[in-house]
Amino acid sequence: MEYKDYYKILGVDRDADDATIKRAYRKLARKYHPDVSNEDDAAEKFREANEAYEVLKDPEKRAAYDQLGRGGSARQDSAGGFQPPPGWDSNFEFRGGGYTGADAGDFSDFFESLFGRGGFRAAGGRGPGASAGGSMRGQDQTARIALDLEDAFQGGQKMISLRVPETDEHGRVVNRERTVRVNIPKGVRAGQQLRLTGQGMPGLGGGEAGDLYLEIEFRPHPLFRLDDRNLMLELPVAPWEAALGATVKTPTPAGPVDLKIPARSNSGRRLRLKGRGMPGKTPGDLIATLKIVLPEHLDDETRALYERLARESDFNPRKKLGV
Amino acid sequence: MQDTRYTLTCEIVEHGETLTLAQLCRSCGVHAEWITLLVEHGVLEPVSPNERQWRFAAAHLPRVHTARRLAQDLELNASGIALALELMDEIRTLRGRLAAQEARDEQR
Repeated sequence: MEYKDYYKILGVDRDADDATIKRAYRKLARKYHPDVSNEDDAAEKFREANEAYEVLKDPEKRAAYDQLGRGGSARQDSAGGFQPPPGWDSNFEFRGGGYTGADAGDFSDFFESLFGRGGFRAAGGRGPGASAGGSMRGQDQTARIALDLEDAFQGGQKMISLRVPETDEHGRVVNRERTVRVNIPKGVRAGQQLRLTGQGMPGLGGGEAGDLYLEIEFRPHPLFRLDDRNLMLELPVAPWEAALGATVKTPTPAGPVDLKIPARSNSGRRLRLKGRGMPGKTPGDLIATLKIVLPEHLDDETRALYERLARESDFNPRKKLGV
Repeated sequence: MQDTRYTLTCEIVEHGETLTLAQLCRSCGVHAEWITLLVEHGVLEPVSPNERQWRFAAAHLPRVHTARRLAQDLELNASGIALALELMDEIRTLRGRLAAQEARDEQR
């Protein structure tokens, strides 16, 4: 078991007063709250800060913890890890009421070996003004999942990893990595939710389990941008295709299709391919925005053609600007 | 934990789907008074304005779950939750735009 330096975790001195500890904890909690932070290990850092604060905010637990760290009374176990000395806590009495806001079920083995498991609350019993007692339906759970556009376009099975709180054999709530195989309905949109009935928190006293809600978001796609049901595409065209009109190949998630570009199409012109967007009861459209691009290198022949055009054309694109 | 022996079927939460106040409370494990507080602060808007028959869009459920976690973990009050959620929405939108822009730039 690894010794945890709770002072280091909160970034405070060993003689820090309660106000300093509270301030340091609150700062970390805001920074690493899993709903707020975008960092990969936010959940772990948030859990560590909670554990450290649970001990350091309580004068009894803090005194016991301090005694443990002093004068080498702690010893190494055979694996080189940490072992509390026997009878280290003889002068302290930990009461169940010591556990407050934090989700103590989630704390480390180190914490558990020092302070035990007293006061853990069962699943479904936490939150502002939570109710308790009798048979109770388990709480629902929510998670956000990122899909590729193709997943939603075609629908079908997808493996999804979730971090979900679950109740273990001791009735504690622990965060577990859970991989499930889910049938993604065709045409699901960003911001929509999928409900998996009975996959939420287990019920209490024979109550039924809650549901799991998956909120959908999409990873950015290299070609298409989603606008509700519509797929937006920037379609490069040659100057002569834009001027003379042409039928060009256009990518869609279902494979390339032919798109007719009308003559005299300017850059930025939007062409709609009806029903080629996201599938659904009312399928979306694919909207291609034209972008006139030049060849990267002008060979002599092309250059000569452009030079002739420049000589013979009297077109002034800046007429409206008065120049 | 691997749980992939069978495929879980799911249903899309439809646009018009609603929950009663009691269902919402059960889903999130909170008291009705707390939901009332969220409504008063504009975090949550009931579909029907009559408090006795309040119904909430099922699509707002994750928002209430997040609000509950913020209240519990960061000791935020209702106006703090309202502000945090608004800013988080904005950040998500901006991050989405940034990621899309970066994806387009990489293509070029």
